[in-house]
Amino acid sequence: MYKTLFRHYWLQTVRSPGYYKNVVVNIFVGLMALYFLVVFVMLGLLLPKMLQEILPGNDPAVTFNGIIIYAVIALLMIRYLMQPLSRLNLHSYQVLPVRRSALVNYLVLKPLLNPLNYILLCLTIPFSITGVYPAYGTMGAFRFLFIILFLIWFNTLLAPLLKRQFNNILFGTILFLLIAGGLAALEYFKIFSLFLLSQNLLGFLIETPFICSSVMLLSLLAFMLNKRFFARNYYPESFEVKSKRSKAGSQRFTFMERFGKTGEIIALEIKLVLRHKRTKSTLFTALFFLLYGLIFYPNPIYNQNPGWLLFVAIFVTGTGMLMFGQWIINWDGSHFDFLMTRDIDTHTYIRANYTLMLALCIVSFIATTPYFLFGKQIILYHLVAFLYNAGVNIYVYLFGATLNTKRLELSRGSSMNMQGVSYKNFLVMIPLLVIPITLITLFGLINATHIALAIIALIGLAGILFREPLLRVIEKQFLRRKYALCSGFRKKE
Amino acid sequence: MQDYENSSITLSQTPPALQYNDESEGIITASNLKKIYSGITVLNIPAIQIRDGESFGLVGNNGAGKTTFFQLILDLIEASSGEVLVEGEQVARRDEWKAKVGSFLDEGFLIDFLTPEEYFAFTAKVYHKSEGDIASFLESMKDFFNGEILGSGKLIRDLSKGNQKKTGIAAALISDPQILILDEPFTALDPTSQIRLKRMLNELKTTRNMTMLISSHDLNHVTEVCDRIVVLERGLVVKDIHTSENTLKELESYFAV
Repeated sequence: MYKTLFRHYWLQTVRSPGYYKNVVVNIFVGLMALYFLVVFVMLGLLLPKMLQEILPGNDPAVTFNGIIIYAVIALLMIRYLMQPLSRLNLHSYQVLPVRRSALVNYLVLKPLLNPLNYILLCLTIPFSITGVYPAYGTMGAFRFLFIILFLIWFNTLLAPLLKRQFNNILFGTILFLLIAGGLAALEYFKIFSLFLLSQNLLGFLIETPFICSSVMLLSLLAFMLNKRFFARNYYPESFEVKSKRSKAGSQRFTFMERFGKTGEIIALEIKLVLRHKRTKSTLFTALFFLLYGLIFYPNPIYNQNPGWLLFVAIFVTGTGMLMFGQWIINWDGSHFDFLMTRDIDTHTYIRANYTLMLALCIVSFIATTPYFLFGKQIILYHLVAFLYNAGVNIYVYLFGATLNTKRLELSRGSSMNMQGVSYKNFLVMIPLLVIPITLITLFGLINATHIALAIIALIGLAGILFREPLLRVIEKQFLRRKYALCSGFRKKE
Repeated sequence: MQDYENSSITLSQTPPALQYNDESEGIITASNLKKIYSGITVLNIPAIQIRDGESFGLVGNNGAGKTTFFQLILDLIEASSGEVLVEGEQVARRDEWKAKVGSFLDEGFLIDFLTPEEYFAFTAKVYHKSEGDIASFLESMKDFFNGEILGSGKLIRDLSKGNQKKTGIAAALISDPQILILDEPFTALDPTSQIRLKRMLNELKTTRNMTMLISSHDLNHVTEVCDRIVVLERGLVVKDIHTSENTLKELESYFAV
């Protein structure tokens, strides 16, 4: 039975349309994963040294033991927020003569097979060699890894249970923060030290051969709790997380209606952003990215380098446009047939999307004006970046949007979601960032960055001035690609 | 303009049967229309005209090409050859016809993150309707909605399939179109709504002379609403009949294999 279930899962993954088409994106994700892998291994190897520097005189392994309970709590929190619930279309299996416990076991245990969950081992295995082995010996190192593995299992099993029981993410997050804050306060005022407890407990477990298997009981407990949950909530409706929506009020953006059809379409896109999980979380990410400049501008390594400065300036002043621009037109995929058959001419449709991106550009630019406090140089870079974003990047995005025929699923989860992303999204980056940065770096070599800035600003200005002919080019391209977009958007993944 | 005047004269003088042969008559004209998907011809209509005010029923088994035909009229897919004209103007890659046509094919015609009220308002605004127009239109739809769609506080994506269909059909009508295109409007509707929809369509036909293109798997419904029935089979028109009291029997015997 389990074999069949896993086989079905495998087929579902492989047969989802776009799985093979997405090779480039998968390679990109793979490279990212490899990067993190290497970073983790390096970190694991160097950790003893770093710990010794932080707490000199203490054995690194003992210090590490002290933070393990904290790490378990923190990682549980991260999993609670990020780990997707494993789903099974229970309805289609429940009517078949299949033992229910088999379905439940499958549902509960499936996350354990996800290699992503074991990335922590990349850090702890090297550490067990460089840090634990000198302190506790070979068997100690093995026991250490054994404990870590079962703690990972414990976390992986417990997080979905918490997620199913406390569906309210906001409430859960606040609760977690309160607990973490409380523990930190107790530690700080030396009332109760979880650090010491963790240190003693883990030290004891690593040193005693058989008792360390009690950690196994912990993961077993998490598993049993899951089983109990499903025994109590027999019907899928009581545990399948659905976005429960209290009454959805109709909203009117009356100020938009003055702009006629264009305004109506923009108001529609704003509602689209506010009513989908993925776009909403992107909105928060965008707010976060606005602060990106704080890392770079005060740092002399970066603020002496014109390439970096321009990169950050384009990125920060165009945050909203760059984040949402990658989805423009594609995010209308689920109702594209509707838009194409209503009395909305191509000119108006493209114009509305352009206006929306321009507005995002202006808003981000205004929101980043506090950076002007970093000096004249930053003001100059920001103005140039704004002109380039508004005069070049908007058109690049609009033109690029006609090439991506993938339907974007906006209601699905958000963190690190690559659905609906194709290699074309990365291709767009070339005119977006690579060209201006190359230009300024080259001119920087002959100490003439101001000429490069002037050229980039002029290109941007020209783009703004020749808006009409440029938009007409995009309209033509859109009409050329219309049928490909229509049929692409009709395919659900 | 002159052509149009001439044709309206012929309309009043010649008997209906002859009108099929006159090119300028059709409000929708398709000629040499073909759609080929990877070597397989899914639709092949050498010539067809749909007259102003005609209610045109399209029947056929799955895969006969009904939806493909509608998608070609609505310029959602590209014809492999041939063209569709609405009032003498080509539809492909053009915008002019959109003002005259109301349509609902499937859930791709719904904006599922809006409430029905917002969806109707958006659609109506695109057609330059006023708030008053919207209010009186929704009032006229009250029976059809059966108190379940307006003021429910739900987003369209949370409505049942039947209510989604009603919402889509109503939005197709909100612009008061000359031409109405509905793909299987009766499926997923409850019996009462089916009867109400039939009554509504018949009313629109007589009071507003609306041209209707309706596909259906239900032979009863389609013969009750439409005065012309076209049967498609594997992309070809195999029957083109004026509805009479014998039509239902004829169709039933055709489909009973």
